[in-house]
Amino acid sequence: MIKMPFKTLRLMMYVFIGGYCVFILTPLSWMVFTAFKKRGEIFANPSGLPNELYFGNFERVFSSGIGTYFLNSLITSVFSVTGIVAISTLAAYALARIPFKGRMWVYMLIVASYAVPLHAVLVPMFQLLDGFGLLNTLAGLILPYIAFGIPFTVILLYAFFLEFPKDLEEAAKLDGCSQLRTVFFIVLPLSKPALLSAAIFQVVFVWNEFLIALLILTSKEVKTLPLGLTSFQGQYSSDWGAIMAAVLLSALPIVALYLAMQKHFVRSLTGMGK
Amino acid sequence: MTVLLEQESAARRATPSSIFGTSSIFGWIMVLPALSLFALFILVPFIQTLVYSLYKFGLTSPTKQFVGFSHYLEIVQDDVFWIAFENNIIIAITGIILQIGVGLLLAAILDRGIKRGKSVISAIIFMPIVISTIAIGLLWRLVFDPNTGMIEELFFNMGWSTPMRGWLGDPDIALYAIIFVGFWQYTGFMMIILLAAMQGIPRELYEAAKLDGAGPILSFFNVTLPELRNVLIVCVLITVISAFKVFDLVYVLTSGGPGNSTQVMGSYIVQNAFTIGRMGYANAVSVVLLVIALGLGIVQLRTSRRDR
Repeated sequence: MIKMPFKTLRLMMYVFIGGYCVFILTPLSWMVFTAFKKRGEIFANPSGLPNELYFGNFERVFSSGIGTYFLNSLITSVFSVTGIVAISTLAAYALARIPFKGRMWVYMLIVASYAVPLHAVLVPMFQLLDGFGLLNTLAGLILPYIAFGIPFTVILLYAFFLEFPKDLEEAAKLDGCSQLRTVFFIVLPLSKPALLSAAIFQVVFVWNEFLIALLILTSKEVKTLPLGLTSFQGQYSSDWGAIMAAVLLSALPIVALYLAMQKHFVRSLTGMGK
Repeated sequence: MTVLLEQESAARRATPSSIFGTSSIFGWIMVLPALSLFALFILVPFIQTLVYSLYKFGLTSPTKQFVGFSHYLEIVQDDVFWIAFENNIIIAITGIILQIGVGLLLAAILDRGIKRGKSVISAIIFMPIVISTIAIGLLWRLVFDPNTGMIEELFFNMGWSTPMRGWLGDPDIALYAIIFVGFWQYTGFMMIILLAAMQGIPRELYEAAKLDGAGPILSFFNVTLPELRNVLIVCVLITVISAFKVFDLVYVLTSGGPGNSTQVMGSYIVQNAFTIGRMGYANAVSVVLLVIALGLGIVQLRTSRRDR
């Protein structure tokens, strides 16, 4: 092993990781710059800062309906994530804390389903939603999102409830608290951080999901943001200013949420590595 | 993932005393909503995929005609399927080398190499992951664009030549352009998982290595890497599983083209079912993907069991 002074090594590490950050940030800054450039400037000066802040690109994407896509994504995310967390909390609590018969089978089934890729059930799922008359509706999007969000969330919350102190529950029982009251007023408030981690992970998944949306949503009024972005691309073809304005607007809320809730998000992700 | 079996056996051992007593009814009522959605959208479609891969039907011709295993025989001879399969494998292998390799290096630097700016740096490197792959793909289409792209500008300024048909239009290059974007977006994910694992390594091990005269590089190889063995296996499996699930990035960057050169199993399933309208054949390709995914899932659980 080559001996080198630790200072030199540390300097090299700073250079490497600093360079890597530039590598990540450069394309992101091109996204922002391009969104504020006029068409001619995008051709003449692709990678530089915009000469002046031009808002025409944003006006164009607003007038072609990004507001609708935005609203659809918001509605879908709120209903899906509420559904996922509520249903998974019930299931995970029961699996971890109530020794009912057959619970290990239920748990193993849910764990196994986590490995089933979405593509592998696409055709039957499409026909099922068609049969229910749910094609081209947000409900047709929300139901499969909840179903596919459940396995990971149950696994995450099961681990949490398994370690939840039993004494607290028993103390509440001695104080004459009913079972359901104990769950709602003692267990759930104390589980807030775990529930929040689970919810944030699913918000990112639902906000960005594309494949199911692509298959079941065809009319403009019900499209979500990722799908809306691809139709902008079809519509504007090489109007990169408008496309980047739309990309920027779609990414802003989720990046803001990530920066605000970084710790919660990272906690649910690192659960996967265990 | 490896906690799963440990949890399972822990739960089996300890019959938990519950405030609900041993009432089965309460338990079943609470898992019922999860189970019914699971059955409706995952279990039943899963079985239908298996069964209807033996039938011929399409979007416009919904009557199902039994064809036995002929779809599977067709897959074996289908050149495009093999291109797609090979591309998935190339994406998996390059993903292991690039994303885990660089992710490991970044995590090691953040864990023990540098002192200042850690949280800002990890926030930056992780940021592309929360943005939708469609948005990221559109951004990189601009960067690769042969007329207005930044890479084109860079190569022009350097006096280097660029591929005639563009980065995404050349069948020999397009797949590697996709792999590059995947690397840019997802390396931070591996970094975060590995960093969390590194932070769990007892500091005394490093102290001991230091007393033995090991420098920072040597203690990375002698302490960090061996301690990370299990997590690295999980990372490899996550990378391989997601390589077989890849769809969005291919769809937005090349749609499988030019001339099927960047087709992957996911895009080939969607193309067969919803563009060509051969849903039965798409189901058969889905079954192949399912077998691979479940096989990898079992390997993942096995690995974690053996280590305990």
